[in-house]
Amino acid sequence: MTDLISHFLASEVMRSALVPSLLIAITTASISVMILAHRLSFLVVGVSHASLAGLGLAVVLALPLLPTVTATALAVAWLLIPSTTGNLRLNNDAGTGLLFAGAMALGIVLLSTTNRYQVDLFGWLFGNILTISHGDVVWLYVAAAAVLGSLLLAARAWWAIAFDATAAAASGIPVSSYRFVLHGVVALAVILCVKLAGIVLTTGLMVLPAACAWFWGRSLGTLWAISLGFSLGGTLVGLLVSYAYNWPSGATVVLALCILFVLSATGAWLRQSGMRRRQRA
Amino acid sequence: MSPPVLKLSGVSVGPVQTPILQDIELELEAGHFLGIVGPNGAGKSTLLSVIAGLIEPAKGSIELFGQPLRRLNRRQLLQQIGFLSQLHDDLPKLPVSVRHVVTMGAAGYASPLWRRPAAQEDIVWAMEQVDIAGLADRDFRQLSGGQRQRVRLAKSLVSRPRLLLLDEPSAALDAPAQDRLYRLLRHLCDENGMAIIMVEHDIAAITGHVDSVACLNRRIHCHAMKGEQIPEDIWHAMYGEHMHVIAHDTRCIGCVSEPPASSTAHRH
Repeated sequence: MTDLISHFLASEVMRSALVPSLLIAITTASISVMILAHRLSFLVVGVSHASLAGLGLAVVLALPLLPTVTATALAVAWLLIPSTTGNLRLNNDAGTGLLFAGAMALGIVLLSTTNRYQVDLFGWLFGNILTISHGDVVWLYVAAAAVLGSLLLAARAWWAIAFDATAAAASGIPVSSYRFVLHGVVALAVILCVKLAGIVLTTGLMVLPAACAWFWGRSLGTLWAISLGFSLGGTLVGLLVSYAYNWPSGATVVLALCILFVLSATGAWLRQSGMRRRQRA
Repeated sequence: MSPPVLKLSGVSVGPVQTPILQDIELELEAGHFLGIVGPNGAGKSTLLSVIAGLIEPAKGSIELFGQPLRRLNRRQLLQQIGFLSQLHDDLPKLPVSVRHVVTMGAAGYASPLWRRPAAQEDIVWAMEQVDIAGLADRDFRQLSGGQRQRVRLAKSLVSRPRLLLLDEPSAALDAPAQDRLYRLLRHLCDENGMAIIMVEHDIAAITGHVDSVACLNRRIHCHAMKGEQIPEDIWHAMYGEHMHVIAHDTRCIGCVSEPPASSTAHRH
């Protein structure tokens, strides 16, 4: 094990991937608490898949890649506000499903019309943190700072809205504005994650840390701390295993988080059963 | 003389042809306990939502604590109001302790994370008022309906509001808990000078505790103070001809002034 870690740290590729991966882990752990609280898991699926439309637009119109994909993700996230807040005549999930399928289809059609395959499509779909460029790292820092900064400022308001939006509005919290910012922040975090886990697996990184913590936390602070622990643990274990067996890094991290979720859920179930037995005795 | 806590002048909500509320005039002083009664769909919850700033009236003006409710002072004024909406089943399954839920009602809760959300003594005070101090560390999701309702009430009290708006607060409470709730509300009015507006379905249950009753069915048909009688035709206008008023208690607002000695039943 010690050998594996020292080899891992000696590898220049892994070293350069480690800090961005941990930064992504911290950011996703923090925002994932809000994603679960506001039931935005499907929004994450929608925004991540719809970002393919941004990729298509960037390739066809020769626009800068990351800004175009980010702008598309933001637009989709904001368009989906009525869908996630129940203000749509369709079922809440139907609106998200329709938009993400349409945007993804647009991306595929746009990409098929051009022979310019400069983009690493496989990397966008499934993620590859090992090929992260200097420009991408700068983008990661900026986006992570925006996500974490907004959480420091607005986490409590978002939490109060998730608990009871009517009461929050009655206490003077501008609920619509906070929801607008939250959707924007989730979209930024999605694009941040795509580098590590790709469009397909991003949801795993953004939902699983808080899902693991959900069984144990009893306040915003403890949920956040436990979610952070699971996220960092899953990322480190995932990267190590992916290095040891030469598995794709993003998929291995998501797999590690899935295993942690199963362990966490089992632990919570055992604790609950023990408490019930003690109460009966 | 201090200005009224609340003043509604000519407030109407909804389309002109089919208004939900029409020409509502209402004034409330500090320490006054107002009960609002009316049939289903009368606009009772809408009226509370208008006062809580959740619905913009189509016509008329709202004054809170002597100041007109405007976009600029909205947050500052609304922070002095406690609001308990109707209990519904789709409360999110957030993993939060009772103490945390109560803290969420504090005026400073939505501040940045580095600020203190609420004074500890306010949280303890609010929990003690509704007798849930022993549940402070319990998971909110695991409470019964009645316990949840008391926690929500503590949440609306924690900022020690000057005006408390309650939409059917006794829902999910058993009869003794209902009685304790009304006594607590009476105490908050008398000792803390809190003004309270309470919408209730069970007219009989509230009339012995409140200072006045407003009969609402799209507009306020009658606003009866303690000792005043609500004419029979007002009850009929609100609930229909099958409505009969039988008094059982001299404290009952709106009932006949001299209850028959033999009468013990009370059903409005």
